[in-house]
Amino acid sequence: MTTLTAARAMSYGRLTAVRRHPLLAVLAVLVLVFQVTTGSFLDAGNLRGIATDAATLAIVAVPLALLVISGYLDLSVGSTLALGGLVAGWLAGEQHQSPVVAVLGALAVGAAVGAVNGVLCCYLGLSAFIVTLGMLTAVRGLAQQVFPLPLSGFGAGFAWLGGSRIAGVDAPVVIAALVLVAGASFLAFTPAGRHVFAIGVNREAAHLSGIAVRRAPFALFVVTGVAAALAGAIKASVLDSAVAGTSGAGFELTVLTAVLLGGVALSGGSGSVFGVLLGVLFLGSLQNGLTLLNVPAFWQQMAQGVALVAGAALAFLGPRTTR
Amino acid sequence: MTEPNLRIRGLTKSFGGVRALDGVDLTVPGGRVHALLGHNGAGKSTLIRCLGGAFPPDAGTIEVGGTSHTRLSPRESIAAGVAIIFQTLSVVDSLTVAENIFLGQEWTRYGRIDRRAQEEVAAGLLERVAATCSPRDRVSELPMGQRQLVEIAKALSRSASVLVLDEPTAALSGTESEALAERVEDLRTQGLAIVYVTHLLGEVERLADEVTVLRDGRVSHHARMTGQSRRDLVEAITGRTSKGRGAYHGAAPPRGHDQPPPTPRPRPNRLTLDALQGPRFGPVDLTVAEGEIVALYGLIGSGRTSLLETIYGRHPATAGNLHVGTRTVRPSRPSDALAARIALVPGDRRAQALFPVLSAQDNALLPSIRRMARLSIRSTRAERRVFGTLSDAVALRPARPDLPAAAFSGGNQQKLVLGRWINEAREVDVLLLDEPTQGVDIGARQEIYGVVRTLAAERGTAVLFASNDPEEVVALAHRCLIVRAGRVAGELSGPELTEAALLSAVHEGAA
Repeated sequence: MTTLTAARAMSYGRLTAVRRHPLLAVLAVLVLVFQVTTGSFLDAGNLRGIATDAATLAIVAVPLALLVISGYLDLSVGSTLALGGLVAGWLAGEQHQSPVVAVLGALAVGAAVGAVNGVLCCYLGLSAFIVTLGMLTAVRGLAQQVFPLPLSGFGAGFAWLGGSRIAGVDAPVVIAALVLVAGASFLAFTPAGRHVFAIGVNREAAHLSGIAVRRAPFALFVVTGVAAALAGAIKASVLDSAVAGTSGAGFELTVLTAVLLGGVALSGGSGSVFGVLLGVLFLGSLQNGLTLLNVPAFWQQMAQGVALVAGAALAFLGPRTTR
Repeated sequence: MTEPNLRIRGLTKSFGGVRALDGVDLTVPGGRVHALLGHNGAGKSTLIRCLGGAFPPDAGTIEVGGTSHTRLSPRESIAAGVAIIFQTLSVVDSLTVAENIFLGQEWTRYGRIDRRAQEEVAAGLLERVAATCSPRDRVSELPMGQRQLVEIAKALSRSASVLVLDEPTAALSGTESEALAERVEDLRTQGLAIVYVTHLLGEVERLADEVTVLRDGRVSHHARMTGQSRRDLVEAITGRTSKGRGAYHGAAPPRGHDQPPPTPRPRPNRLTLDALQGPRFGPVDLTVAEGEIVALYGLIGSGRTSLLETIYGRHPATAGNLHVGTRTVRPSRPSDALAARIALVPGDRRAQALFPVLSAQDNALLPSIRRMARLSIRSTRAERRVFGTLSDAVALRPARPDLPAAAFSGGNQQKLVLGRWINEAREVDVLLLDEPTQGVDIGARQEIYGVVRTLAAERGTAVLFASNDPEEVVALAHRCLIVRAGRVAGELSGPELTEAALLSAVHEGAA
């Protein structure tokens, strides 16, 4: 028995970063290939573009990953993103509110959507897949009802959110970095971070261990809603426009793809913020590189889909990791 | 003499350099019951799986009905006449009994399933195993014992000559176990070769003609049952002589009638139930004194589990009171019970207690990491230290904080779950245990008893445990309450507390 467990122990032993995150090697190869083929992939300007694009993805992917680790799921983020952008733009533009008020307004709307999801899923025990799929449609409908016309012209103050630079780095990238650090710290250093894993692995066992099994996932639903609305506000600021019908359409699937590529198990209980970062960078690089190579958008979409399935196969064949 | 139905010779199987089976021989003629014993990890499951074709052996032969095989696929195994009834049954809940019996070998007529013919034949098979269910019953509506009989009927429908039962009574009630024992005896008379895998020595003594004990992948003992003493078997399984070094951690000597646990002096009550009522039980009055170990003995479904879970706040109590010491508590969720220093080790380890992919340390300390944290930041150092003393206290093997719980044996998993409530960061006054050694091998079982005894004796913890294993009750309890239909139907203590008394107490009201 001891020998058998010892053999198992070896396979569970310290894995190097690459073995733990096979995506790291894939990303490196991808970057290399794009640099060789385009010659300009690693230029500062291009990297900055990738970072800005990836930033909104990361801001939502991190809380969504935590939610998935705790055994839940949020598909409504695409519509929440649209609604957040519209509310922020409307407050900043038509209502001539300060950018701070505009952003806070968007966050409040995101929190409300998240709270609805959270109450229905965590406290009433409905299926997160069904609830958030319904909310995806409902929130989109709400956005189109309230803002039937495209909004734009949000003013110079609001443009600060997406366009300003802090110590030479674009504001969205700084925000994304803060979110990544916060997410990783939460998982590593706080008791609640460990509880999230426990709830995702075995909710009943967590409950019987005295862990509050509803509170943390509920909070994560709210945070995910807030993050989606924040990402919406950032996008509205960058583009200086927001459209109820199209803003963030399909975003929920892109962000979920990033989370799953990053090694977060859809069944809950395993995943890491570093993995999510890799997933986000991978998708961002893929899209950017293919665009540089003038690959048509439909092919890009196909590549994204293939990457996800290939990633799942890789995770299935590769070493099983925890954390 | 005719060929034995099953003859295994020199079976060897390694996993990544580790020998799980090392030259194992096993011969079972028709009309015999052969018990297979051993610790979890001793090689029993590997042996069964090689037999069932789950993986090919590295060396050795498997002879079934005179035909020798060096390897079997699952299909070949069935065709050769081997039927394995696993602990986790493979019946399909949403199908009927007859559909299950003929699953994969449906009888058809003009391309359609011939239900009537299937049901007729199924009825005959069910009669052979004395099942009371009808071929048209949906399996999801049947109790465990009947489901198992359905699976045995399925084996018979494939005219199996070798029947392997893997811990068949683990999920059965006392009466169901008794009924199963009778079926096994019938099937023996009908000429089947039966391999009976179990942890329960009482079943071995009752049913087996021969016994093989595996240890570390080898046959450590093989004998006819006549003239076997229980001590011989225990020694063969554990590999320890009863005189050996102080192998049992902080523990009293192994169980036996010769050394009943000492009855403590009268002490104040730690746990008092005052006409407590809840789902499927009550009203129940009982007390557990400081340092006392009290058993709730009864059949599965008698309300024992529900009673423990209600004390722990998993179900709401509908009436009555619960006191811890002199305080009245009314837990509405487990965290309330924990705040009152009551803890539960649940009965279904996999579903209710374990986090398989999380580390051993997380498994043992998750409920307490908040207490060890400073300013909401986890203290890794405190966690390591507490885990270290904890893993010593429960004799965890291997004593590795980083391994996932799934990599541990059942006994060591149970030590992790038990360790949750008996470490520096979290001590309790009342410990509730539901089937504390379900799926735990004999060696670890003794260690767990030792830990519980030490806890009661040294810290004065009041222990209330539910069990349907008379051996366990006699070995561990100072006092035993007989639970029947949700009520306390009797009490046994001191010299009255014997396995025979427990069995007769339960069977009196069982019919």
